[in-house]
Amino acid sequence: MIRDEEAEDKGFEQFERFLEDWSRRDFLRRMGGAAAWTAFSGGVLEFLDACAGGNTTTSVTAKKGGHIVEGAFSDVRTFNSMLSSDTASNQVIGLMFDGLLNSKKNGDLVGALAQDLPKTSADGLTYTFKLRPNLKWSDGQALTADDVVFTYQLAYDPKYADVASPRRGDLSKYIASATAPDPQTVVITTTQVFAPFLVSHGQYGILPKHVLGSLSAKDINTADFNKAPTVSNGAFKFVSWQSGQQVTLARNDNYWAGPALLDQYIYKVLPDSTTVANQLKTGEIDIGPVDPSQYDSVKASGNTNIVDFPVAIFDFYAYNLDPTKLGGKLFAQKEVRQALVYALDRNSWVNAIYFGHASVATSVEPPTSWAFKAKPQVVYTFDKAKANSLLDAAGWAKGSDGIRANKDGLKLQFEMHTNAGNKQRESLLQVMQQSWKDIGVDATPKLIQFPQLVTEIVSTRTFDMFLVGFSWGQDPDEAPLFHSRNTAPGGFNGADFKNADVDAALDGALTTLDKNKRKQLYYQFQDIMSDQVPAPILMFNKGIWATSKRVMGADFGTYNQFGNRPWIQNVWVTDGK
Amino acid sequence: MIDPGGITQLDLPGPAIEGEARRPAQSYWNESWERLRANRIGVFCGALILILALIAIAAPVFSQFVTHFDPARQHLSDNFRSPGHPYLLGTDELGRDTLTRLIYGGRVTLGVAFLTVALSLTLGTTVGLVAGYYGGWPDDILMRVVDVFLAIPAIFLFILMSILFRPNAITLAAIIASVGWGGVARLVRGEVLSVKQRDFILATRSIGARDLRLIFRHLLPNVLPVLIVAASLGVGQIILIEAALDFLGLGIQPPTASWGNMLTNAESYFFHSGWLVVFPGVTIFVTVLASNLFGNAVRDAFDPRLKAH
Amino acid sequence: MIVKFIARRLLASVIVVLGVTAVTLTLMDRTRGAYVPGLDLNPALRPEDIARLRADLGLDQPFYQWYVTWLWNVLHGDFGRSMIDGSPVLTHILERLPNTLELTLTAVVLGILISIPLGVIGALRRGSKTDHALTVFSVAGFAVPQFWLGLMLILVFSVTFEHYGWPWLPSGGVTSPFGGGDIGDRLLHLIMPATVLSFFYLSLWSRFTRSSMLEVLSQDYIRTARAKGMSERRVVYLHGLRNALIPLVTLIGLELPGLVSGGLIVEVVFSWPGLGRLAFERALQYDYTTVMGVVFFVTLLVVAGNLLADVLYAVLDPRIRYS
Repeated sequence: MIRDEEAEDKGFEQFERFLEDWSRRDFLRRMGGAAAWTAFSGGVLEFLDACAGGNTTTSVTAKKGGHIVEGAFSDVRTFNSMLSSDTASNQVIGLMFDGLLNSKKNGDLVGALAQDLPKTSADGLTYTFKLRPNLKWSDGQALTADDVVFTYQLAYDPKYADVASPRRGDLSKYIASATAPDPQTVVITTTQVFAPFLVSHGQYGILPKHVLGSLSAKDINTADFNKAPTVSNGAFKFVSWQSGQQVTLARNDNYWAGPALLDQYIYKVLPDSTTVANQLKTGEIDIGPVDPSQYDSVKASGNTNIVDFPVAIFDFYAYNLDPTKLGGKLFAQKEVRQALVYALDRNSWVNAIYFGHASVATSVEPPTSWAFKAKPQVVYTFDKAKANSLLDAAGWAKGSDGIRANKDGLKLQFEMHTNAGNKQRESLLQVMQQSWKDIGVDATPKLIQFPQLVTEIVSTRTFDMFLVGFSWGQDPDEAPLFHSRNTAPGGFNGADFKNADVDAALDGALTTLDKNKRKQLYYQFQDIMSDQVPAPILMFNKGIWATSKRVMGADFGTYNQFGNRPWIQNVWVTDGK
Repeated sequence: MIDPGGITQLDLPGPAIEGEARRPAQSYWNESWERLRANRIGVFCGALILILALIAIAAPVFSQFVTHFDPARQHLSDNFRSPGHPYLLGTDELGRDTLTRLIYGGRVTLGVAFLTVALSLTLGTTVGLVAGYYGGWPDDILMRVVDVFLAIPAIFLFILMSILFRPNAITLAAIIASVGWGGVARLVRGEVLSVKQRDFILATRSIGARDLRLIFRHLLPNVLPVLIVAASLGVGQIILIEAALDFLGLGIQPPTASWGNMLTNAESYFFHSGWLVVFPGVTIFVTVLASNLFGNAVRDAFDPRLKAH
Repeated sequence: MIVKFIARRLLASVIVVLGVTAVTLTLMDRTRGAYVPGLDLNPALRPEDIARLRADLGLDQPFYQWYVTWLWNVLHGDFGRSMIDGSPVLTHILERLPNTLELTLTAVVLGILISIPLGVIGALRRGSKTDHALTVFSVAGFAVPQFWLGLMLILVFSVTFEHYGWPWLPSGGVTSPFGGGDIGDRLLHLIMPATVLSFFYLSLWSRFTRSSMLEVLSQDYIRTARAKGMSERRVVYLHGLRNALIPLVTLIGLELPGLVSGGLIVEVVFSWPGLGRLAFERALQYDYTTVMGVVFFVTLLVVAGNLLADVLYAVLDPRIRYS
C-alpha cells in the first residue's frame, strides 16, 4: 500500500538470500571457503595451502588455460542485471558483467569499471564517477558513460517504466538524474542524502546500450539478451545455457583487468547439498558450497581444500506484535520476549545443529560489520532461572497442565512457522520447542511451503512466530526488518515492531554520510534492540566453500562469495585442463 | 514410486477375462482361507505385519518400559551416539533415541498406509459400485472423473495437496488416497459389470429388490475378493510412496517421526553415522517386503481366477 | 465399429485433458494465496509494481478467465512464458523432454528385455527354486525406496570407487559439464539412473508376465494345442507368450504418464535435468505457465498412450470391441 517517501533502502543481497530459499532443500546458505590465499607478485602466484596447515609457502607459476566447474543449488533465471533478483542469476551475472564499483572481502568498495570511488558533492547528493580509459565490450565496442547511464535509466527513468526491474522502486525514488557529460564521466544525482547508495546501487552489472538501446521497454523484458547475452564486460563471456543443467562461460579477452587465466567457467546446477558434497568428493565439480553437516566428510575425502569464515547470514525468529493478533497478546511484554531468549541454550546448538560452523549472535548487527557492537545493553546467555522468574514477574503463572497462563486465563501457547525442507530451521524449531516446554511455554513447530511463509511475513501476517534465515548486505542499515514504516503490507517488518527511538536512529543513520555518526546511531539501535528483542537473531552462520586441490587462486570471503568475486580472473588450475 | 499408475497397477489382480462366471459362496471363502493358511511365507509375513502394527499401537508402552525415552526428547550433548546403552539403536542429530522414534514412526507410517488403503477402497468401491450398477450417465460422469484423476501426474496432486492440507498422518493418507481411489473404482466397476451380466442378479431384480439391497447383498460380496487382494497389495506400495514424499519434503513433517522422514533425514549423515540410515532403511524394506509377500499370498488364495493353479 | 470405438475414446480423451488442466490450475490457484510468482520478495517493490506484475501475469483476473485465455493460447500453439524466468515454456519443455525420454525409455526397454524372460522362466518352472528366487528378487526389488537405492549406488559406485582410485561412475547429470556429450559419455551417465528406474519396472513386469503366462497356459486352447501334439516350444512361444503379452501392452501403456513424471525421484537423486524435476521445482514456486504447460503436455501423452493401448488391445483382442 502506501510506502513512505522517507529514505529507505537495502542492498539487494539480503533479499536475494531470502529468495534463494526456494531451493527445495535449500542448504544454500552456509557457504564458505577459500582454498588458498593468493598474492599477485610479478607474474608469480604465491599461495598458502589453507588446509595443509603448516607454514609451508610454495611459489608456483600460474598456468593459463583449463576450466573449472562450480556446483550450485539454483538455476539461473536471467542474465540481465537490471531484471535479476535471485542469487544464482546475480552470481553468474557477476562473472560476466562488472559494475561501476566492486566489493572487497571485508565489504569495502573499490573501483571496477569506475577508476575509483566517485567524488561526492558537498551536499552529499551528487556522485561523479570517472570510468577507466579504453573500456571495451567483449565484441570490441567501446564501453562508455552512455552504457552506464542507459543501465540506470532502465530502472529509474519513467520512459522505461515498463521494464520489470526489481530495482525500480528504489532507483526511481533515489535517482534524480544520471548523465554522461563526456564518454568517461558519469554523474548521478540523488534526490536525498542516502548513506548506503553506493553499496546498494553502485555495483549493478553495466548493460550494453549498443545491443539493448534500440529496444522498447516492453521488449527489454523478453529480449534474447536476457537468456543469451551476446556481449559482456566482465571476466567471462556467455557461451551457452542449458536450463536445469549448466551455464558455460568463456574467457573475455577484452576484460579491463586483463584476461582471466581460465579458458572456461562452468556453472552447474545440482539439486541439493548432498549431491554437491558427493560431486566435490568425486571431482565432478571443482568449487562448491558445503553444508555444515557435510563439512567433515568432504574434508575427509582429501580431494578438496575447504575453509569457512564468518558471514552476515543469520537465522532469526520474530514475534507477531500486532495487538489484534494472538501473538500481540502473548508477546506484548518485553519480559516475555526476553524470557524466551534466556531459555535458549544457543551454545549447545553450535555443535548439534551447525556442526560447529556458526556463532551465537549477541547483537542484531553481524560481527562482520563495522557497526557491530559486541556487548549491547542486554546480552543473552542461557539462564533458565532468569527466564522463569521473568515470566513469573510478568504475571504468567504455571497452570495445572504445566503451561503458563496470564490472569485472563490466556495460555502461553502458540505456533512457530518456518519453511519446510530446510533441515537446520526444522531442527531449530524442535529444539526451541523443547527449551520452552521446560519453562512452561507450549510452542508447536509448523512447517509450511516457502511461498506461504513469505506471504505470511509480508502480507497476511497470520503467524504467531516465524523463523527464517536472512542476510545483511555490506551496509549496517536494518530498516527493512525493524523500521515501523515497513510494517505496511509488503514490508518486511512482519513482526509489526514499532519503536520511535529505533525509527529515529535508523533514519538518522541513513541520512548522514558521516561514518562515525552512523556508528553511534547504530550502537544506540543495537542497545534498544537487545532490550526490546522483537525478533531475536539466534545465530550467525559461516560461509563454507570447498575447492578442488587442482584449483588455485580462489579467495572467498565474507563479501566475496557470490556476485562479487574480484579474484576470479586470477583463478587457475594446476593441470591446465 | 510416484506415478498415477502406482497403485492401480499393483491392484490389477492378473489379467481380467471379461464375462467369466463365478459365484463366491461359503465354500469359496473357506477354501481361500485354507489356501492362505497353507502358504507358510504368506502367513509368516502377515504375522510380521501384525506384530509391527501391534508394536506401533503399543508405542507408549515400549517407550516407557523398554526404551525409557520419549520420542521427541532431545539430548543435544548425546547426539549421534552409536547403538549401545542406553540408546539401543543410537541417537540422531538432536540426540533423540532412534528405537523409540522408529516405534513411534511405525505408528505414523503404518497408520498412513492402512488409512490410505481404507480411504481409497471406500471411495473407489463406492464410485465403482455406483458407476457399474447404474450405468448410463452416472457411469459416464464418474468414470470421466476417474480418468481425470488417473491422468493428472500424481506428483502435482501431491505437491498442491500437501500445500493445501499441511501433511500430518491423516491428511497425508487423504492425499495419497486421492491418487489411489481411481484405480480401485475402475477395478470395482469392471467386476460389477461382469457380475451384472449374470442371471441371478437379473432374476432378483425382476422381483423388485431394492437397489441398495442388491448392491450390498449381491454385488459387494462378489467384489470383495478383488478388494481384499487390492488392499493387501496396496500397503507396501503406500509405505514407499510415503517415503518418497518425505524425500521430496512433501510428507510427514518433523518433529513427527515417520520411517520415511527418518531415512531422508539420515541421508546426509551417512558417512559419520551410518546406522541412522540403516535402521529406518531396513525397517521400510522388511515391512514393504513382508506386505508384498503377504499380498501375493492373499492374491493366490483369494483370486478366484487362479483357483486352477 | 472400430471407428465408433475410437471416436468415443477420443471424446473421452478431450474431456480428460480439460479436466486435468482445470483441476491442476484450480488447486494451484487455491494454494497460492496472495503470493505473486517471481518477484514478491523485494521490499523495494512498490504496490504499483506488484500490481503491474500481477496484471502482466494475468493474475488480476479470476483464475477461470486466466484458464480460458491460457487454453485459447495453447490451442494456438502458444504455451506462454515462465512466470519465474520469462523463458518460453515450450522451450523449457522441449529442452528437458529429450533428457527425460532418454532416461525413461532406456529404463522401460531394459525393463521389458529383462522382465519378460524372467517372467516366462518363472511361469514355466513354477514352484521350482529358480521361480522362488525370481519371486524373491522381484518382490524385494519392489520393497526398496527408489531414492534410497539411488543414493546408495552413488555412494558406492561414485564416491567410494573414486576414493579408492577404481573406475567410477559419474554421480549425476546427463553429460560431463566439460567436453562431454558424446555417446560414451552419455551412456556412462545413464547407467545408474536407468538401472534404478528400470528396477521398478522390472519387478512389476516380471511378476505380471509370470502370472499372465500362468493364466494363459491354463487356458483350454493351450491344452488343445498340446493335445494336438504341438511341440512344447511352439505352444509356449507361439500361443502362450503372444497371448500373455496382450495385457502387458496395456500395462506399458498405463506406464506412459510415468515416462515423464515417474522418473522424478530418479531425476532428483541423479541431478538429471528432466521434465519431472522442472515441473516439481516450478510447482513449488507457483510458476503457473510452466506447470500448466508440462501438465498439458504430459496429459496429452497419457491420453494418447491410453488411446493407443486401447486401440491396440481392441485390435489384438476382438472381444473387447464388442463388450
